[in-house]
Amino acid sequence: MSLQVEDMRNKAVPKLGSLIKQRTITLDNAKDWLRTIYEIRFFEDKVFELLGQNLIKGASHLYAGQEAVATGACAAIQIGDVIGSTHRGHGHCGAIGNKYAKDDQARQTHWNRMMAELMGRETGYCSGRGGSMHIADVMNGNLGSTGIVGGNIPNAVGAALAEKYKANNAVVVSFFGDGSTNTGAFHESMNMASVLKVPLVAIIENNLYGMSVPFFGSPVEGAGCAANIEHIAQRSAAYGVPARIIDGQDVVAVFLTVREAADYARKNRQMCMIEAKTYRWYGHSRSDPRVYRTKEEEKAWKERDPITVLSKKLLEEQLCTQQELDAVRDKAEATIESATQFGLDSAWPDPADVTKDVYVAESYPDTLVTNEKNASSQAMKATEAFETAVKTLTGQTKKEITEKAKEKIRSEFGMNVLLMKEALIEAQAEEMRRDKNVILEGEDVGIYGGAYGATKGLLQEFGTKRVIDTAISEAAIVGAAVGAALRGLRPIAELMYVDFITISMDQLMHNGAFNRYMFGGHAKVPMVVRTEGGVGRCIAAHHSKSLEPWLVNVPGLYVVMPSTPYDAKGLLKAAIRSDNPVVFIEHKATYGQMGAVPTEEYIIPLGVADIKRPGKDVTIVTYSRQTMFCLAAAKELAEKHGIDAEIIDLRTIKPMDINTVAASVKKTGRLMTVAESFCMCGTGPEIVRRLIEYKFDDGHTGFDYLDAPPVNLAAADVPPPMSEPLENASIPTPDKIVAAVKAMM
Amino acid sequence: MPKEVRLPQLGQTMEEGTIVTSLVKVGDKVSKGDVLFEIETDKATLEMESPAEGYVRKILIDVGQTVAVGTPVLILGEQNEEISQTYIDSLSGLQTSAASTPAVETPPVPSSSTPAPSTPAQQSSPSPATGTAELPEGSRVISLPQLGQTMEEGTIVTTLIKIGDEVKKGDVLFEIETDKATLEMESPAAGFVKVILVEVGQTLPINTPILILAAKDVEISQACIESIKSGGAAPVIKPTEASAPTTAQSVEAPAERPIPTGGRVFASPRAKMVAAQLGVDLTRISPSPSAVRITEADVRKAAQTGTASTAAAPAKYGPGQRIAINRLQRIVAEKMLLSKQTIPCFYLNIQVDMTELVKIRTKLNKSGDVKISFNDFIIKAVAMGLQHYPIMTGHLDGDYIQLADTIDIGLAISTEQGLVAPIVKDVGTKTLREIAVYCKGLIDRTRADKLSLDDLTGGCITVSNLGGFGIDSFIPIVVPGQTSILGVGRINDVCLPMDGNIMVRKVMNLNLSVDHKVANGADAAQFLDFVKKTLEHTDNFTT
Ligand SMILES: Cc1ncc(C[n+]2csc(CCOP(=O)(O)OP(=O)(O)O)c2C)c(N)n1
Ligand SMILES: [Mg+2]
Repeated sequence: MSLQVEDMRNKAVPKLGSLIKQRTITLDNAKDWLRTIYEIRFFEDKVFELLGQNLIKGASHLYAGQEAVATGACAAIQIGDVIGSTHRGHGHCGAIGNKYAKDDQARQTHWNRMMAELMGRETGYCSGRGGSMHIADVMNGNLGSTGIVGGNIPNAVGAALAEKYKANNAVVVSFFGDGSTNTGAFHESMNMASVLKVPLVAIIENNLYGMSVPFFGSPVEGAGCAANIEHIAQRSAAYGVPARIIDGQDVVAVFLTVREAADYARKNRQMCMIEAKTYRWYGHSRSDPRVYRTKEEEKAWKERDPITVLSKKLLEEQLCTQQELDAVRDKAEATIESATQFGLDSAWPDPADVTKDVYVAESYPDTLVTNEKNASSQAMKATEAFETAVKTLTGQTKKEITEKAKEKIRSEFGMNVLLMKEALIEAQAEEMRRDKNVILEGEDVGIYGGAYGATKGLLQEFGTKRVIDTAISEAAIVGAAVGAALRGLRPIAELMYVDFITISMDQLMHNGAFNRYMFGGHAKVPMVVRTEGGVGRCIAAHHSKSLEPWLVNVPGLYVVMPSTPYDAKGLLKAAIRSDNPVVFIEHKATYGQMGAVPTEEYIIPLGVADIKRPGKDVTIVTYSRQTMFCLAAAKELAEKHGIDAEIIDLRTIKPMDINTVAASVKKTGRLMTVAESFCMCGTGPEIVRRLIEYKFDDGHTGFDYLDAPPVNLAAADVPPPMSEPLENASIPTPDKIVAAVKAMM
Repeated sequence: MPKEVRLPQLGQTMEEGTIVTSLVKVGDKVSKGDVLFEIETDKATLEMESPAEGYVRKILIDVGQTVAVGTPVLILGEQNEEISQTYIDSLSGLQTSAASTPAVETPPVPSSSTPAPSTPAQQSSPSPATGTAELPEGSRVISLPQLGQTMEEGTIVTTLIKIGDEVKKGDVLFEIETDKATLEMESPAAGFVKVILVEVGQTLPINTPILILAAKDVEISQACIESIKSGGAAPVIKPTEASAPTTAQSVEAPAERPIPTGGRVFASPRAKMVAAQLGVDLTRISPSPSAVRITEADVRKAAQTGTASTAAAPAKYGPGQRIAINRLQRIVAEKMLLSKQTIPCFYLNIQVDMTELVKIRTKLNKSGDVKISFNDFIIKAVAMGLQHYPIMTGHLDGDYIQLADTIDIGLAISTEQGLVAPIVKDVGTKTLREIAVYCKGLIDRTRADKLSLDDLTGGCITVSNLGGFGIDSFIPIVVPGQTSILGVGRINDVCLPMDGNIMVRKVMNLNLSVDHKVANGADAAQFLDFVKKTLEHTDNFTT
């Protein structure tokens, strides 16, 4: 394929007869295409009718008119290849399901489950969790569909990356609309796919409009315009990849071009673009009066109905009789009619199951949990011993003293003393050695070794296939991780600053966290987003925030924030092994922190808090760097004020180990939370809420055991300021913690 | 076969649509997808397409008409098919059935999407009457409250206020005679009496406006009075439940409960929990200096020094104190005096061997879900006795002794405010377990101040048990209107000669005070003996 945009509409499409003769296809193939097109059409017509009767509720982006694109494309790819779909996805889901259906019965079941899903029934593909906009059988070659325009494209890139990495020889076909090609996600994705050279076929279904806005103008007065080029395929030049423009109404044209493109992608490990010109028969959704397009335009397109185009070929080439074609139509209609009945007869999901399948259920053996508690306190002791040794030992240089102290800890405790970043590197390296599905991608993670040095050396050991430097494309970095995770890898995506997660939030939340639930529990997204946050380097508001409250607000995510090298290593290893998406937030001020780490292999269970200092007077719940501040404050409280504070390091913010917190408050009667994030709707208030509502076996609640109002220390409600005194003023510090504890006693 | 076409929902929020243009006429042939009407919805004007092929046989709506989603708008049929009126009639009302799907049943939808039309709030919205007929701001219409569960109307016996009087909340306004008793009606609000809408002797249904209260200088116009009298729209304030008058036997109003000095006690939840565990009275400890609330430490300190234990609370009254008699005590005084003056009593005493009953009770309570008290057994035995000796249910009525229709037994209950003896109704038909449940409810209601007038009406005997206070035996006073009263003492270990041996048995004293006007010694003695035997032979008690 040349890099020139080729407009295939200028070339004659080969006759069906000759394709059959060349054994490119069989006549049955062609008849099956017609059947699929009919099925999609009848399905959409039925959906429209049922929407009108309120038997189907919700979204209604119908695919009628565009059937040749999904049908031709799905026919052109191989079993094992994958597609990614959109909000207008019934056609994609329908066509790929037909491809995977072994016989007529399986095919009927497929349409049954599609119709049931639209009706919100338990028997639907996603058990009524997804509906029209998220309809997908993720078990069979479908990555799923997204309601966020453009949001599906990064996932397809990640999936293609995974297929390439696994050397499966599979390609990924990503469908998306003309409207989505103006999103950042599109650009980030196309760029990333082309740079990483992944086997992706990007199919733009240019139906000329994104809702009401024409892609490239319209004769209707007042209608807007979304782009300054007519052919989206021209954008391929920006990525240096081949592109074709095809007639999206002709299934044969679609089939042949997608087949060629898939071959190209497979062979060359490179993406290519296909722009299919097509048209939707219905409005954008059912309430769309279609004022932005003319009746003449509609009429002209409808003359090129994919059903008519294909039927005509079959008749004119005398491959089929009218009766045969009618039989195909009737069969398709019957399929959709019984699918409708199936849906109506199907049970509703049980409201008691509403929280089912948000997470992959995970648990740890009890022994692991108890052993880890011992290991943790051992590590604390060793770290303290190390700190004392550094203070007491003598030597020529600091380095010499440190080395001596490390040696002392190694011989006395059998533990290494590591920097936080070294612990992180060890965790990643060990897991990458353990599981070849673990890959690492992100900005500057390769030769540079990560902005905070937490990936140093990994490129050297694991190579560019597994340690992937990416362009500055946060949405695509996270979105690709989602796609790769969906296809069986365990990607680690590094975001240089948690502040940048704002750009990836759509990918992280809507696809990373929600996919499992939306797709009825059939998908899992085992990925880790590693990032860092917090103040401490005077780099101001765009590089210093603590955004974990945003993240714990997302059902489907885990959020982990370590405070010591010991925790960082064990938690990161557990996070990488977790089948749930984990955001792992390191603190920028802790990378240079030293701590003892066991020499033998270990993991720390997610969702288990650690009592970093036992005490009896007040419970302080904290995490990340603030744990260190709280320990310093506790020391002063004990030495100077006779107050014995218990410090609980949550380690995992979500799921939150409220049991440990409650047991502690039962003992102390006082609760303080200390976090570096903003307070409003933040983690501290959430801990308090959970504690107050906590139910003990004795019938009492956490509220009953409180002897003083709980106190939340958190970041001031200001954008983190740069200047050091202001920066310190904006967060809890040991002196403030001491004062606040004294005030509550 | 005719096929009806209904107005589809053309958008998620669409509930109805207006027919803007009709693009078909009767006789037209239409194909699926042909535009039939232009419909204006809440959002836009949309084309309504035909869901099926056929000939237009009937158009059921006119241009300009607005109809609900699901309304039949058109009937399609064969070319010259006649559409019967019965068919058309059968269509209306079936708004959700599928238009062109073969007899699809509408499945139950999890949550209803159409809210039920709200009924106009008649009481709260003033009618658009002229200014003069409106009740001036701040004035309140007081209506006749329901003073007992069964009360439907009441007669004004006495009016205790006159126009111009200032009344406080709780002041008695009228004496009202109901089907059961004569009761005092208290004012549910404060104000000046502006209008009295009723006269002494009048019998009125409950909720009839009877009085208007307002601020001192407010004038109530005649028009307004007329409008209220005629059941007009002025807001009628019903006395709240709390201000319902206390009946002859009811428990005191909560306002007279002792309020701890210093108002609300501020204590942490933990302090409260620990105080309850240690029996510490929070009203008797104060927070440590400069603290705003009592904490666990304060409670534990108090418990250690023993300064505030609830058990050691000092007696309620001090020497030389003048104690206001509460209403309940006044009623008790009146009744007891009446009893002593009008009921010539004789007194019987008997000892009951409760040994077996104690055992069976323990057994029953181990397995059963309701706890059965000794009183429940005694009430059951008394009921059985009364069924055998009905004369013991009688009361003097002129020249007759009137026996009770049902066996209703009073149970004397001591509350914070004093003594109440609500009635356990129709004990004759109740099993032991049912009695236990009923009594528990009755006691709870008594303690919660929730007795109804009905709870306090009737009864032919009262059971009064002071065993819990360590009393062996006492002579109670008959409640006027009843025949007798049974005084129950404590169950005590006593040495009894039995079959030539001396056995330690659990013995309880029963004292029966009897109205001699109704029953004689022999009746009462047999009755009491029956009760004793019933209690001693525990196989009498099937729960
Ligand atoms: C991020 C985002 N913005 C806007 C929307 C609302 N929306 C849903 S579909 C759509 C039009 C999309 O156009 P296009 O990509 O061309 O797909 P088509 O609907 O034409 O198939 C819009 C604006 C959305 N779902 N997501
Ligand atoms: Mg479009």
